[in-house]
Amino acid sequence: MAKPATNEQVLQGTLDLLILKTLSLTPMHGWGLTHRIEQLSQDALQVGQGSIYPALVRLEQRGWIDTEWRITENSRRAKYYRLTTAGRRALAQEVASWNRFVSAVGLVLAAER
Amino acid sequence: MSHRVRAALARVKELFRHRSRSAAEQDEEFSFHLEMETAENLRRGMSDADARRAALLRFGGRQRFREETSDARGVVTLDNVARDTRFALRRLRRAPAFAAGVIATLGIGIGAAVGIGTIVYGVLLRDLPYDEPDQLVRVGFITDGIGTPGDLHSEVTFYHFAKSARSFTELGAYSTNDGFAITDGDAPERVTIASVTPRVLTLLRARPVLGELFGTGDTSWTNGRSPVLISENLWRRRYGADSSIIGRSIDIDHGRRNVIGVLPRSFDFPSPSVDLFYPAVVPVKRPQITDRYFNVIGRLRDGTTPLGAETELTTLLPALAERFPAITPDMLKRTRARVSVEPLKAATVASVHAQLVLLGVLVALVLLIATTNVVNLFLLRTERASREIAIAFSLGASRLAVAQRFVIEGTVLGLASAIVALPAAALALLTKFGFTEREIPRLHEVSFTEGTVALVLGGATLTGAAVGLIALTRCGVVGLFDRLRSSRSTASRRWRRVQNGLVAFQVAVALVLLVATGLLGRSFLNLHNARIGFDPENAMTFHVSLPWDGYRSYGANAAFHARVTDRLAALPGVTSVAVAWNLPLASRGVPALGMQLQAADDEARPAVASASNMATADYFRVMGIPLRAGRGFRPGDLRGVPAVIVSEGLAKSLFGTTDVVGRKVKRFSSRPWASLFTIVGVVDDVHWERIEDGYVPMIYFPLLRDGDGLPADSVPVPGEPRAVRYVIRGTQLPVATTIREIVKELDRRVPPSNIRTLGSLVDDATARVRLTMLLIAIAGVASLSLGVIGVYSVVSYAANGRVREFGIRLALGAAPTRVGGMVLGDGVRIVAIGTLSGLVAALGTTRLLRALLYEVEPTSVAEFGIATALLAAVTLFATLLPAHRAARTHPAIALRGE
Repeated sequence: MAKPATNEQVLQGTLDLLILKTLSLTPMHGWGLTHRIEQLSQDALQVGQGSIYPALVRLEQRGWIDTEWRITENSRRAKYYRLTTAGRRALAQEVASWNRFVSAVGLVLAAER
Repeated sequence: MSHRVRAALARVKELFRHRSRSAAEQDEEFSFHLEMETAENLRRGMSDADARRAALLRFGGRQRFREETSDARGVVTLDNVARDTRFALRRLRRAPAFAAGVIATLGIGIGAAVGIGTIVYGVLLRDLPYDEPDQLVRVGFITDGIGTPGDLHSEVTFYHFAKSARSFTELGAYSTNDGFAITDGDAPERVTIASVTPRVLTLLRARPVLGELFGTGDTSWTNGRSPVLISENLWRRRYGADSSIIGRSIDIDHGRRNVIGVLPRSFDFPSPSVDLFYPAVVPVKRPQITDRYFNVIGRLRDGTTPLGAETELTTLLPALAERFPAITPDMLKRTRARVSVEPLKAATVASVHAQLVLLGVLVALVLLIATTNVVNLFLLRTERASREIAIAFSLGASRLAVAQRFVIEGTVLGLASAIVALPAAALALLTKFGFTEREIPRLHEVSFTEGTVALVLGGATLTGAAVGLIALTRCGVVGLFDRLRSSRSTASRRWRRVQNGLVAFQVAVALVLLVATGLLGRSFLNLHNARIGFDPENAMTFHVSLPWDGYRSYGANAAFHARVTDRLAALPGVTSVAVAWNLPLASRGVPALGMQLQAADDEARPAVASASNMATADYFRVMGIPLRAGRGFRPGDLRGVPAVIVSEGLAKSLFGTTDVVGRKVKRFSSRPWASLFTIVGVVDDVHWERIEDGYVPMIYFPLLRDGDGLPADSVPVPGEPRAVRYVIRGTQLPVATTIREIVKELDRRVPPSNIRTLGSLVDDATARVRLTMLLIAIAGVASLSLGVIGVYSVVSYAANGRVREFGIRLALGAAPTRVGGMVLGDGVRIVAIGTLSGLVAALGTTRLLRALLYEVEPTSVAEFGIATALLAAVTLFATLLPAHRAARTHPAIALRGE
């Protein structure tokens, strides 16, 4: 069952970024989050539903997101996650560092001889 | 606020948060998620059941969801601990042999470590129970040039240093004596007294519970008043803790004394058995340095070190000859006089320092071995349980959960081992292995306390948890993570080398201890069969000490003993009675070799230090000490040049021959006694305090019943028969009450004490070796069995790891004996390395036992051989079981399990 740890590590870092970005658009609950990410990536990314909650707990502990119980449109109680100010700052940093990473990798891959 | 701090705060908050609420919230969130997912799946056209199953599958298991979220929170919930504890108990119940093995091993290890560790700490390391103990020192005066043993002072050396030395704020002298009895009331009682200069009490900062101490400036008590301090023990025991005791007089056989204070129980100087403190005067009447009785202690001035003080006293030593012209510089040179200053604590425990350090190291080794073995047993078990762990992982258990389970299992076992460890530690601390503060100073300060219980429980829990953790990092979990698979083999190879090394080390330690046990056992047998020089069967002895009042002269003392002897001899069944200062093996605490003798007719021969005794004419016959030449004592022997009898050993060292009857011997002394004696007989050698110390040179003075009719003030021999031992031989020995009645009828102030058989004296004399042997034998057997467990577990562990290889070999047609032989080879290698290094270590260390050995060489081939053979046989036997199992591996095992 255990995933290879190296992949997990990468995924985890990326997952945090994806969650932060998605929550920056609007607060939402866990299930909504998984589907929203899949939808935004045009189903290219499959989010492990089991791993999203630990990630949310982690982010909450860092103070990047907040939680709140709200009533959904179908009048069900659900736990909503919302980006905090610290989370917004963190997102900006994460995005910047991701972009640096991508362009660095891009440079390497574009190298000719 | 950095997010690290925030995270820590969140964690703390989590701990306090109501656990059921957060679990309920989690559950709600989970079901909400599932519901949404199921609805989504239904919308995609799945059937009801499929939709739900798919949703669950995608989520990956509810248990895992719960655990991973708490993993992320970093919280081990109490709920999990309780569950895992129940689980651990259930698992252990299924493996009783494993549980019992671990509990016994850890229990013995921790119990021994705490018990003996507490003793070693209390005796060697803890501060003395006096104010600012680091300033306290013992000041010694040593003369290597003459036979006077020890570091005691004479009046002049103490006086000189007390007057001149600047290194000390105070200097005090004391001596002890147990020849005193309290005679008031119906039951006279023998007590130990300490004569102390007033400064001894003030420099130790003694505080009386009642009354006052001796004044340090005032010496009025030397003329007329006679104050005494009593111990709190005596005050409670004999005077019912009555505070009106202050100012009261008590009758002591050496004269009436006035109680001025009570010293607390916590003040145990110089020994807890002291009940009376006399103020000591150190009068310088006749300057001399050969008869020395005073222990000297001091308190160092601030900033002065013992070494600095010793340097000062050394420079002061020549001035002794200037202050007392009777002490010539030549005398100081000839006696090789020197001083020593050492910390009081070190001086107090010097006699046992080496043995206790050795004991502490042994115990640390036993604990180390026990822990290693338990880790090995754990590994062996988890290796077998690795499939179970794999299943737990695949069912979604998190790493933290599995780790927690290991640690909890270890902790449960550790705590359970307290069941063995607590009684073991209590036994060690309550019995103290039969030793008292006579053999091990400060031992009375050590006791079994709540602290011991806490130490055992804490130690057991921590060790258990640590064992669980170590086992965890070494096993199962490691193999199950793919990313570690590549590094696994090298890591485990290194670990296996460490393991093999530890087991070889255990085997070595076991061998050293077995050799020591063998050597001590042989010593004990030798002691038991040793020619002790007298016949201990059908004989008994008791001690009597006469007061000054009424018994001033030799003659008065002798007359009393003659009357007691006659009464005892008249009892039915008693065949003979004798009296002497001392009996062989009964002279504990009495310094031997207190007399300087020289051949009177041959001045060229060197002086000899000798023990001395005074004995009645019947003594040698009653004791069964053979007369080798000449005759026994008879009336008239005190007249003219008094007669003496010498032991063969003394005759040889004085004259170089045993043919000495009729020759004269000279005694050096500062006292006014005759110093020339005629030898009338030669007797066999005897022992003094212990058989293993060998024979002592002995000179016997006559104890003649009428004082030989000499005038009361004449002093024909050195000392009078005041404190003596009786020996009674017979077919039927009198009971203690009969003896007490007879003595009491003759003088009601005199309590006979120490009434016992001669055989019990011999038993006591071998007790030290017997106890040490017992201790080392226990350690030996423990380490042997630990070694066996160690070899077994490490060989099995290795064999288990190769079980597939064995299967393949067997399937390809290898002979089962060959496969078994491979496993056996593992064991043989470890045992061989262990045995060899053990032999080397034993050769190096058994020398430390020399003091305890009797007529056995520390490198005796027989004992080494037997121990080695025994160890090799037992440990090789331990590898037979895994070897046998390996040989019977079913080839199909190779195909299974992948």
